[in-house]
Amino acid sequence: MPIGTHWMGWYYLGGITMFFFVVQVITGVLLLMYFQPGEATAYESIRFLTTKVPFGWLIRSMHSWSAHLMIISLTLHMFSTMMLKAYRPPREMTWVSGYLLFLLTLGFGFSGYLLPWNKLAYFATTVGTNIVASVPILGHWLLQVLRGGQDVTINTLYRFFAAHVVILPLAFVGLIGLHLLLIQRQGMAPPVGATAAPRGMKFFPSFALRDLLLWLGGLMLLLTLTVFLPYGPGIPGMDWELGEKANPMAPAYPGIKPEWYFLWEYQLLKEFPPHLFGLEGPQMCLLMIGLLFGIWAIIPWLDRRAYRNQYSQTFSDFGWAAILFLIFLTLAGWDIGSSGATSELASTHNVARVCALWTLAAGVAITIVRYFLYEHRWFVLTGAALLHVALHGLAGLSYLVAGTISLAAAAFIGATMRLLRSRSSGNQT
Amino acid sequence: MEQTAASDSKTSRRHFLDMVLGASALGWLVSVAYPIIRYLKPLPQTGPTGPTHLTRDETAKLEQNKFVIVPVSGQRVIVLQSQDEVFAFSAKCSHEGCTVTYLPGQSVIWCPCHDGRFDMNGRVLSGPPPKPLTKYLAQRQPDGGIVISEERT
Repeated sequence: MPIGTHWMGWYYLGGITMFFFVVQVITGVLLLMYFQPGEATAYESIRFLTTKVPFGWLIRSMHSWSAHLMIISLTLHMFSTMMLKAYRPPREMTWVSGYLLFLLTLGFGFSGYLLPWNKLAYFATTVGTNIVASVPILGHWLLQVLRGGQDVTINTLYRFFAAHVVILPLAFVGLIGLHLLLIQRQGMAPPVGATAAPRGMKFFPSFALRDLLLWLGGLMLLLTLTVFLPYGPGIPGMDWELGEKANPMAPAYPGIKPEWYFLWEYQLLKEFPPHLFGLEGPQMCLLMIGLLFGIWAIIPWLDRRAYRNQYSQTFSDFGWAAILFLIFLTLAGWDIGSSGATSELASTHNVARVCALWTLAAGVAITIVRYFLYEHRWFVLTGAALLHVALHGLAGLSYLVAGTISLAAAAFIGATMRLLRSRSSGNQT
Repeated sequence: MEQTAASDSKTSRRHFLDMVLGASALGWLVSVAYPIIRYLKPLPQTGPTGPTHLTRDETAKLEQNKFVIVPVSGQRVIVLQSQDEVFAFSAKCSHEGCTVTYLPGQSVIWCPCHDGRFDMNGRVLSGPPPKPLTKYLAQRQPDGGIVISEERT
């Protein structure tokens, strides 16, 4: 455990994520004792659990709250690791194993969502699984294997149940073992540029006790939320009221939304036109999401400065640009700013404008903090992300056109700056 | 000279054994993987196929809501009524497969998931769907019943 002038708070986010995972295992096993997968039993057993079983509501609510808190702390953990460049050699595999754990966590969220077999779950799973149909060649086969048939049926629930309670937990525990082993072997990453061996803190008992204290804090927070808001805060995408039972012959209903952490993908699917460059919109969208996830996975190898133990402003900027990109899509997915609109079209424009303004405000605040507090001097990518939302939300260009223009502008400015810099350094020598 | 020949024959023998080992390992893997892959691929759906008569309940729903969703040959089909005419389309949105609904006031078939809109011929009006909705044949029988069947083109 390196101690230094840097803030230590980021080092605890992995531990608290792990705590929420432990809560998930315990409450999950308890839920398993009442849950009966099946066409006539899945929904009914959850209803029985929450209405009749003593403290059944508590266990289910804890499982849901802890899932959301786990995703929040995991996302913060991942972004802080990214910003502090803790993926520098020799810790590349820690980044990759953490990245895979993140994907598995999303898989947990997605598969667990279907199990109560209610209306919302049915459509969320229909859309979510349908995305794999866009995979070239294998798509249709994958879709059938995932769903256990052509459509989402009770067979899908059986498969998701097996994944949620056996396959994913086994993979998760294995990867966590690897992740923790690497951390124990290599120690936690010191700040970038630290040359002298940093002052250390022993993991046991000093750090472990601090971790334990935070776990207690996490438990307090979890119990407070569970008791006062047993069905979630009531925000779309963060609410687990059981609602109506799934009915394949019922139409989807207005205001249907996925969980908040899938909102950005949901919104992106809406932003793609029906056809683009000879491919269908959903295929292009899947390609783009795949590309983004792929880049994220190999960051330790893309950041060449990290190899020299140098701080790369470009990659910090990339992280912030990613956050602004996610903020805009998530807000838009939430339909922020749609109230008071007279028509469907006006509402879409309003949402784009209001969300762009919020994103710009966040961008300006982040930039001020970065400029004065962290003394960052490279803002090309965050600039592009802000130009993107401004062109889309304020100037009314389509999301993709605005994005292409901003990316081109960023590439041009980045290349020019690099050229100027290499010239000026050439002049000096 | 003799030594190299001996080592040559030794390497080629080793090479051969490696090949045999590799091939059998591959064969073993395939024999394990194939049954699992076949096991996971679901069987084709079984159930009634061909033209479907709307039940009395479904007809009542159609009268009341101006639309009803019914299974036809294992597919979800939306049947709608507009000015005494009956139409039928696949209820599976061509975008991401959500079940569409009908807005009688606007004569629009609407998918609430990603806001796709279709006209009364199944063509895309707005939103992200890349293809029109598949049309089904809806016929009113002399006795007032409604029969839905796949359209032959």
